[in-house]
Amino acid sequence: MDVKEAGHLPITSEGDMITCRKAIRTLATSAGFGMTDVTRIVTSVSELARNIYTHAGSDGVMRWRILLQADKVGLELIFEDQGIGIANIEQAMQPGFTTANSLGMGMSGVKRLMDEMDVHSEVGVGTTVKIMKWGRAK
Amino acid sequence: MEGDSLSVIKLKDILLVTVPDDPGDNVIQELQVKVLNAMEKFGSKGLLLDISSVNVLDSFFARTISETTQMVALMGGRTIIAGMQPSVAITATELGLHLGKAQTTLDVDRALDIFSDSSS
Repeated sequence: MDVKEAGHLPITSEGDMITCRKAIRTLATSAGFGMTDVTRIVTSVSELARNIYTHAGSDGVMRWRILLQADKVGLELIFEDQGIGIANIEQAMQPGFTTANSLGMGMSGVKRLMDEMDVHSEVGVGTTVKIMKWGRAK
Repeated sequence: MEGDSLSVIKLKDILLVTVPDDPGDNVIQELQVKVLNAMEKFGSKGLLLDISSVNVLDSFFARTISETTQMVALMGGRTIIAGMQPSVAITATELGLHLGKAQTTLDVDRALDIFSDSSS
């Protein structure tokens, strides 16, 4: 698996969420993802970036990589924070689960939008969410 | 920065709001207050929300639209959401979002037809 491009963006404010959405829209489009996949990816970015600044209580970062594997292209996104952590990941992944003012569809919804999702969290230490979308290489 | 502000346009007896393509949370929240104030000021009977430019509809946006619809209804108005892009409709459904009691139409023209039919 080759890494074609990589980078990161901070998530410290609401404005950063818009910056992240725009950056990933451009990146995913140029990597060759179709309109619907781009929308799925950008919507996932919006949900996970918002989770960081509304729940984590700390600054965070979004790391991205474009991966090439045989005839496939992958977009990997990692959202990291050093915030309060998630006590019960299984519960947080249930549709309808919510701790703040939202519809409670964030985490379980993102899992449906993406091809892979991996959540690691430790209370008081922070949370890392890795998501991945695969497409056909250009 | 783009999408900093949005206009609520009085169109006969309804209000028309065109949502920018990538609205921030502050823009979406501002929409709620502006719409309700304009409802009172103009005595409008409904809200037409044109989302044909919108390319990200996440849970926060959906919740705010759903709430706004409810608030407009409490003030005696009807809300129609027009022009959702296909990729947004697919993503919103997969994400499990719903827009509450808001009615939807394919485009603004059809929404205007519904508003004018209901007034005659």
